[in-house]
Amino acid sequence: MTLVAASAVPSVKAARAWRARPGLMIAGALAFCAIVYLLPMLSLFGWAFQGPTGSGASLAQLSRLIGDDTYHYAFFTTFEIAAITTLICALIGYPYAYLMATTGPRLAMLLTAAVMIPFWTSVLARSLAWMILLGRKGVVNEWLTGLGLLERPAALLFNSIGVQIGMVHVLLPFMVLPIWSILSRLDPGLPRAARSLGASPAAAFIHVTLPLSLPGLAAGATLVFMFAIGFYITPALLGGPNDLTIASLIEMVVRDLLDWPFGAMLSLALLGLVALVFACGAAFAGAGRIAGIEGR
Amino acid sequence: MSLSSASPQPRINAGRSALWLLAGLTVRFLLAPIAVIIVVSFNDTTLFSFPPTRWSLRWYHALWESRAWREAGWFSLWLASLVALASLLIGVPAAYGLAKGRFPGRRLAEALLISPMVVPVIVLALGLYMLFSKLGLIGTPTSLFLAHTLLALPVVIVIVGAAFRRLDGSIELAARSCGASFPRAFWHIVLPAIRPALISAGAFAFLTSFDEVVLTLFLGGPRTATLPKKIWESVKFELDPSLTAVSTILIIVSIAALLLVEVARRSRVQRQAKEAL
Repeated sequence: MTLVAASAVPSVKAARAWRARPGLMIAGALAFCAIVYLLPMLSLFGWAFQGPTGSGASLAQLSRLIGDDTYHYAFFTTFEIAAITTLICALIGYPYAYLMATTGPRLAMLLTAAVMIPFWTSVLARSLAWMILLGRKGVVNEWLTGLGLLERPAALLFNSIGVQIGMVHVLLPFMVLPIWSILSRLDPGLPRAARSLGASPAAAFIHVTLPLSLPGLAAGATLVFMFAIGFYITPALLGGPNDLTIASLIEMVVRDLLDWPFGAMLSLALLGLVALVFACGAAFAGAGRIAGIEGR
Repeated sequence: MSLSSASPQPRINAGRSALWLLAGLTVRFLLAPIAVIIVVSFNDTTLFSFPPTRWSLRWYHALWESRAWREAGWFSLWLASLVALASLLIGVPAAYGLAKGRFPGRRLAEALLISPMVVPVIVLALGLYMLFSKLGLIGTPTSLFLAHTLLALPVVIVIVGAAFRRLDGSIELAARSCGASFPRAFWHIVLPAIRPALISAGAFAFLTSFDEVVLTLFLGGPRTATLPKKIWESVKFELDPSLTAVSTILIIVSIAALLLVEVARRSRVQRQAKEAL
């Protein structure tokens, strides 16, 4: 007995000594991030605020960005696409998440699988699939004309319709998962209590369930909007010449015009917008709920 | 109780049916592109017709015969495995430190480590391009390895961090009070307890790299063609039918990873159920 106690004392001390150390375990990740993340982000600032001759600081790129209508157009297009995508995702994502949270385990699993499989499937493969589905002789057009809903095939690809469909497909899981996460943890006794006090199911939903789930909706909307304004692949593949987004503009400015300083300034503007959207969302939903989603 | 359940019942059912109708359409919308691309990949013609008029493995054969696609496939696999390993090696200790540590600046460090997930990839790509071109890394496998690890690291930290937070700290303390050193307790007690999360994190880190396009387009060169990079070029410039076969392979890899994660999760649930009995 005494032996055990004697040997336990130093190990408890050692335990206390180690208690302070978990902080050190993040050192590796922090060092990695400092080099591969902070340094590149800082170099963006360096390029964006460089003088024309490469010496001294200058606001030349910023005034170019503010002064030219072409660039405003890209910002407007990006916001329009992002806003519509967020709205559609909310409209179809909320009821979907609600069913996922309130149905039996088997059906819930089916609904979850239908969200998770596309979520983790290559965005490129999915864009290619939409190109096959939405083409002039594609499945969707043949189906619509076959049903008599359309007289002749509609242009669904290489325009904003194609972009919207592709974007909703990619971003819908980011709306469904946070809403589901909050609804599935909601105490089912709360709407039941409202019902037993005489509220109709609709009233119980509107006055109890919906307000309690708003942080999830806010988190989902923030994620969808944030990813939508920075999205590159889907608009580049499914969009047409009129769907020039900020991300495509950055790629064009850097690749075709080799204008690094302006590309850097556009990137900072995009980064600033994303930060703004995140801050607004965090104010409603809490930063943890937005960042806590498991996945990309 | 009887009052409330008597009259509103039909209205619930009508509402529920409408919800299910919408959910059924949504499931179709979510899965249709994936189903269509798999079916079209077994087509025998050069057109992307659906459903196929004649079935064959022609495009899979073409894929296997093409040296460029084969090399891209091996390179993608190799790169994604390395990225998964590296992001686990630095991400798991970091997730532990963030979950269990009490030190000033913890929240800031956490925000910093998770934020690459929300920064637009095109912005990361440009920043890394500027840095790596100074270091002469553009077009090397090293640049892709570092860039992909940056994207996979937050995935590992979020998933493993959540598992560490759920983990009962007293099992670790018990091991330590029995005389186990910290590394020993960590390796033999803490890590096995969160094995399902380690498997998920590894699988998702692998997929993050395996599917990554934008960083690869900016930082890669002729020697670093991954599958997604070759798909991108083929979609943009020629639309070769082999694309449907490669896409199907990517889809199967993703589904396999999800199944692995599900099996790992279930084994834990079953073990817990047994322990509870």
